[in-house]
Amino acid sequence: MSVPNSMRVGPFCASVLVKRKYLILYIFLIWVTILPGLLELWAYWQVLWNDVRPLHFYVYLPLLLIAIYITTVFAAIISTKIALMFINILHKPKEGVFLRDRSDRDYRYWSLRNTIKKWPTWLSHKFPFPFLDNLCFKAFGVRTTFSNSLFEGWVDTEFVTFGKNVVCGQGAIIQSSVIIGNFLIIRKTVIEDNVRIGAHVIIMPGTHIGKNSILNTWSSTMVGQELEEGWIYNGGPAKKFKKNRFFEDIPIEKLTREVGDYEGLLKKYDEQYVKREVKKRHLLEKTIKPPLHLRDRLHLGKDKDNDTDDEN
Amino acid sequence: MENDNLDDNINPEEQNIKDNEDDFSIDFTTSSAISSVGIKFLILYIPIFWFSGLVVATFWYGYAAGTTNWIIKLLYLPLFLLSLMFLFIFTSFFFCKLLLILINLMCVPKEGIFRIDTKDPNFEFWKLRIELKKIVLWFLRNWPLPWLDVLAFRFFGVKIDFSSHLNDAWVDCEFIEFGKNITVGQGAVLMSSMVVGNYLIIKKITLDDFSLIGGQSTIAPGTHFGKDTVLGAVSVTTLNQILEDGWIYGSIPARKLKLNKYAEERTASIHKVDVDGEEKVEVEHDINIDEDKRKFLRRSSKE
Repeated sequence: MSVPNSMRVGPFCASVLVKRKYLILYIFLIWVTILPGLLELWAYWQVLWNDVRPLHFYVYLPLLLIAIYITTVFAAIISTKIALMFINILHKPKEGVFLRDRSDRDYRYWSLRNTIKKWPTWLSHKFPFPFLDNLCFKAFGVRTTFSNSLFEGWVDTEFVTFGKNVVCGQGAIIQSSVIIGNFLIIRKTVIEDNVRIGAHVIIMPGTHIGKNSILNTWSSTMVGQELEEGWIYNGGPAKKFKKNRFFEDIPIEKLTREVGDYEGLLKKYDEQYVKREVKKRHLLEKTIKPPLHLRDRLHLGKDKDNDTDDEN
Repeated sequence: MENDNLDDNINPEEQNIKDNEDDFSIDFTTSSAISSVGIKFLILYIPIFWFSGLVVATFWYGYAAGTTNWIIKLLYLPLFLLSLMFLFIFTSFFFCKLLLILINLMCVPKEGIFRIDTKDPNFEFWKLRIELKKIVLWFLRNWPLPWLDVLAFRFFGVKIDFSSHLNDAWVDCEFIEFGKNITVGQGAVLMSSMVVGNYLIIKKITLDDFSLIGGQSTIAPGTHFGKDTVLGAVSVTTLNQILEDGWIYGSIPARKLKLNKYAEERTASIHKVDVDGEEKVEVEHDINIDEDKRKFLRRSSKE
């Protein structure tokens, strides 16, 4: 699978820079990080450079470049980790709902943490070997294993816990913090073993996904939603679609069956949507009385009739 | 913030979907990211990187040790660096292709449904192929000319020519057949392989000429796009879905919206839609095409 360069996927840190003085720390980290790589290059130069026959120097140069990159990433992770430890002593990161304002201590430190973490995550993701991202996750306190594949979506780098064999689809977003209006919500997201997250799925903070569940493409979850184990979920907010039997031993002939009944398939999706829509309309009618012109447009209480004009 | 969730009020009985014993139909779409990164496979990356780096280093040595005036060297340096980058990518292509031929001799890539299991050679070799191709595509998409990734697709055996654009999308580079003039939108996902539970599904995608895929849409394995088919943004096709010629599809799962009149003929009028008032107005509109070039318009020239 070829990852589009323009999408800039990978482990993400929210792009919030509440105070400009955070940049000083950030630039200091970049400075410190590049030094070990330079030292390595200098040592290599001292050992292998020969003015007359520089053959050895050029033969091992490509390998050295890989080594320099990896040491740079390690240095970035370690220095950021040390900075984070000091910051976390000053203010312990915690879950909750905070005011999105400079005066709020939690919001400020959340912004500081994300600013600092940007450099190592960017550096480790700009490398064709994807396992460096895993080191980043582990260093910043995300519990994950090497059997997970989380490199083609956006995964938050704090307050997320993964089980084993999780597949995160292309362009999926797994977040543990969200800004709604004037509030910042931080809640722990837990994803258990063998969860298959479809492409473009959005997982909000506080979601708990049980074992062996599958999320359909373009489904999304609500803040604090609980998904039971062993089900296939669909839609936004995600709802039970059917029981997940794809982790059992199924004879492969059964799986190869074509989806022949296409009308039935559409109906299945529609029913789920319509049920939700009817409930919503029912509630709307009961609780809020929308203005008259708006009510006509929402088709409240009457059927749609002029929908097939586009056909011809 | 959870109190305004309307779905909280739904009865538990409504949520109880029948536990159908035989419901093995795959009527949903997931993703195909590699389920685990085999670190043992990464050993293959190092020789590729080393050998192609060696070729680049040789050329660089020749340039640096040459006896030409340093001003002329400096003048040509940017051009030389760009060509070195291209050389690096091209040689890594070459070594990847060599390794791929060897790997494909060991296990021929084939369509079908396989178990996700380290004992299944089809699954293991699929992972290996994906990782090998990933490095070249990564290099190509991260250098200043990302459109050249079509070259990599051609090298790896995908039928495609330079009239198609796909460099802003996730595209699998095997079991896909492209026609001519295909546009793939930003962030779209074209999967010829999909991981469902414990199974890996590999099925060929075929795209006919002039088909258009909207941004952020997801194409499941086995999808067939007819000629002049348009798939709207944020829409999803299901496994083995066939999209007919000359229709506009949309929504989740993809369904027919209307006939693709834009393909039939380029009329001299366009529609303006007032969304708030729910009305359509036809507006006279001149197409900016010279009279002598009108014959190049598709279809309209035939009639």
